[in-house]
Amino acid sequence: MMNLRNNLKEIRLQKTLTQENLALKVGVTRQTIIAIEQAKFVPSVRLALEITAALCMPFESLFWLEESQGGNNG
Amino acid sequence: MVKNMMPYYLSRMGLTVIIGIFLFATGSSIWISILISVLLLALFIWAPHSGRYSVHPEFGITALRRDEFTEVINDKAARNAFVVSMLVLAAITVYFGYAGLILIPASVLKWTLAFGVLTYYGTDLWMRKS
Repeated sequence: MMNLRNNLKEIRLQKTLTQENLALKVGVTRQTIIAIEQAKFVPSVRLALEITAALCMPFESLFWLEESQGGNNG
Repeated sequence: MVKNMMPYYLSRMGLTVIIGIFLFATGSSIWISILISVLLLALFIWAPHSGRYSVHPEFGITALRRDEFTEVINDKAARNAFVVSMLVLAAITVYFGYAGLILIPASVLKWTLAFGVLTYYGTDLWMRKS
């Protein structure tokens, strides 16, 4: 099974954005950004694209698929 | 931000006044009506800062929106609450069936609702914390 992984936290910190700033840019709650960063919530395609646009990054540098290691989280 | 949110705050203030008047008109004491109205208004004021809603001042009185993560949480909480309520209802029905009672008192049926509400908010809190 493939899991969706992301390095949203690293990219966000590179751009010196807080979770609150990014949430405001994208139009979601801070809890949503936290949940995505911790891989507890898989965003919709629309939201993922909005996040990549807000961070001015190509999609594949933020999100990618990875073979699961037995768990089903992500 | 506060200025942009004025339509939201004013509409909620109006709503709490209407609820207070309704409570008073239906027999509650004036102090209870005021207390409930003030508590409700406090909840409305807290809501934009709670982190539970995405805030969109441009939408005026409907400035608070659920984002997709919140919708997922609400869907799961509602599903869990429904399942628990049905299980409690089934347990009550079986229990009263064994006890030979045909009618189930309304006071007992209230437990179904109580368990459902507890499950809803329990799931909501658990999913936000974990």
